[in-house]
Amino acid sequence: MGDFSGCDLISNLPQSIIESILTRLPIRDAVRTSCLSRKWRYKWTTITHLSFDEKCVTLSNDRALVEKSLIDFVTRALFLHQGPIHKFQLSTSYLQSCSDIDQWILFLSRNDIKELVLELGEGEWFRVPSCLFYCKKLTRLELFRCELDPPPSFKGFLCLKSLNLHQVLVTPDAIESLISSCPLLESLALSYFDSLALNIRAPNLKYLCLEGEFKDICLENTPLLVAMSVAMYMTDDIAEHFEQSSNCNFIKFLGGIPLLERLVGHIYFTKYLSIGNDLGILPITYNRLKIIELYQVSFEDMNEILVVLRLITSAPNLRELQISGSSNALAAIEASDLDFWEKQCPSDCTFRRLKVVKMTDMSGVPHEMEFIKFLLKKSPVLEMMSITPCAYGLEGRMKMLIELVRFKRASPEAEVIFIQD
Amino acid sequence: MSEGVMAVVKPEMKSYIWLQTADGSIQQVEEEVAMFCPMICREILQTGMGSSKNYAISLPQRVNPAILGLILDYCRFHQVPGRSNKERKTFDEKFIRMDTKKLCELTSAADSLQLKPLVDLTSRALARIIEGKTPEEIRETFHLPDDLTEEEKLEPLRNITDDPRIRLLNRLYARKRKELKEREKLKSVEAEEERVDERSVDDLLTFINGGNRETKGVKTNKNKKKNRRRKDHPKDSSTNVNGHNKDLDALSSASQDGDTINVESPSPSSSKLQDSTYVTFSSKRDLDDGDLDDDLDPAMKEELDREVEDFARRLNSDWPERMQEILSLGQERKLAPIDINGNGSARRYKSDLQVWTGDNDLRESTI
Repeated sequence: MGDFSGCDLISNLPQSIIESILTRLPIRDAVRTSCLSRKWRYKWTTITHLSFDEKCVTLSNDRALVEKSLIDFVTRALFLHQGPIHKFQLSTSYLQSCSDIDQWILFLSRNDIKELVLELGEGEWFRVPSCLFYCKKLTRLELFRCELDPPPSFKGFLCLKSLNLHQVLVTPDAIESLISSCPLLESLALSYFDSLALNIRAPNLKYLCLEGEFKDICLENTPLLVAMSVAMYMTDDIAEHFEQSSNCNFIKFLGGIPLLERLVGHIYFTKYLSIGNDLGILPITYNRLKIIELYQVSFEDMNEILVVLRLITSAPNLRELQISGSSNALAAIEASDLDFWEKQCPSDCTFRRLKVVKMTDMSGVPHEMEFIKFLLKKSPVLEMMSITPCAYGLEGRMKMLIELVRFKRASPEAEVIFIQD
Repeated sequence: MSEGVMAVVKPEMKSYIWLQTADGSIQQVEEEVAMFCPMICREILQTGMGSSKNYAISLPQRVNPAILGLILDYCRFHQVPGRSNKERKTFDEKFIRMDTKKLCELTSAADSLQLKPLVDLTSRALARIIEGKTPEEIRETFHLPDDLTEEEKLEPLRNITDDPRIRLLNRLYARKRKELKEREKLKSVEAEEERVDERSVDDLLTFINGGNRETKGVKTNKNKKKNRRRKDHPKDSSTNVNGHNKDLDALSSASQDGDTINVESPSPSSSKLQDSTYVTFSSKRDLDDGDLDDDLDPAMKEELDREVEDFARRLNSDWPERMQEILSLGQERKLAPIDINGNGSARRYKSDLQVWTGDNDLRESTI
């Protein structure tokens, strides 16, 4: 071995640094440091972040063997561990539901667990044991493909700040009461829930991320919301259900969040908002809203166009706008209501702060072009407008370009960029 | 007061802070660069030091002049607000390229100055160095002493990555290798004749299970636990008990010294099994630290496999009966010769029992 003239370089660093180094290693390497020297024998046992995945064990084609060695590894590592465990992460597709995971969670619940991430396999979903609900110090919980069933005596995670449930089987009541019983909740993410109808009551909520088939979402009490990203999948029956409802989705969703700074809507978001639209003056102004991203807006549906207009005219400090279209260029030859833009469109609004606009998937349908024209006319400080067409034929693009060139621009600094590929 | 001192004379002159390292040398640094370090910043604001050469701020001992230079380079770059994230990242990647010794000193110094971003950066770099290396390589890089015993080295890794059978096997191997090493040493000092043990496996196992035994000569060893047991040995003429000790140790070592993974080797004075298996391997070439399984040829391995399996099976199946045996035998043996210190030995007996059984109730029931 090397020269002994150099003394030990590393073992005498403060424990906090050693732990910082060990936490940055894959858990297997961290455990291996225990055979380096006498001083290192138990250094790894006090690290507070443990993160396991199938890289901890040697992989092979025999699934059962990998599963068993992974279970052994985690169990023994936990057994050897000393002291509190603040963060525990398990991400693997090899582990199906098994009683060992229950025992690990029980162990963690007795060791001050603060952040728990469970990302399990595609098979039978893991049924979360009730001991999870006794982890009083939990600040972050992320579950993938689990079944959640809070016991009746559960009063909430009083310290929970971040909740992320992805493909989790849980009754709507349970979810609602879970959210409302976590008073410090700041970040909420729910994905792949089927037909969820939800009233979200979270007075400290700042970040919201929803993805899935939602029947009905009402942000009942989320006054501090700062950023939102929503992807609404809609099946036909849900759409039907909406047609009959008289509630204004726009107000229900966006009516109570004056501090919003960033809004991102995917897939059917604008369609969802357009349902039950009352077309009256919006009682709320989004003074802090700076960035709006709306994807797959159908410019053939007048209602959706109205939603977009309503949004951008209620955001006086809007800085950046990104819209992607989802219209069918071949179908729309002549659009109706084109006179809307002349007559009814709010003419007294100006986008005083709008600097960047990105329009993508533009098929060149009349309403799209009118919208672009509208923006160019009303944005005095615009710096860049980029347009990405989705029309395949050269002719379609030519048509768009010819129209574009003609549009008046309020901003002398505006660059209109037509992106070719 | 500190503000007045800080606002150094002319507006076009930059203000400087004076820093003193543990070796006495003093440096002057631009104020904004020095203020990037939380510890220096706090010193300046709270005590007003650093404004002149005589009132230089003393830096912690872990910061030597060369390292201080590096740290100040880091601060000088990062305290400029206008830099993009990409620029900072590129700088960091280049900055961190240095030999391991300097990297460790830098980590230590940054930590004492509470410069968290630099500590994170260096920790990441050190983790990258450690990741994926074998223990030997890591030891060489950081000049770590190789001071673990064979067994200690094997325990955590094997415990975590292999199944119980292999663990038992490893214990036997480790014991044997130790014996072999000691043997080599002894051989160089004096010639010793080798013992040949012709007993069959069954005999050996009967021995474990409480048959008649004769004790062989005591071997030297380094393990303290073994020494302790040897002291007890003369008083307790039951080798039977000691043999069981070994079994119990294998299972309940956790309760003995609070170490969850420390496994004790049995006392050689009573271990016949050990002798025989040692002897069978004595003719093997030197067993190095590397992969254990490869050192033995298949026949040997098979026999050992069988032994281990039987061993484990018997441990698991005969447990309750053997416990009874220990208790009854121990009782007879101990109480007989002791008259004088009736209380003392009874206590000792009880505590031995506790040690054997790891039974907390018993412990509580004693004085």
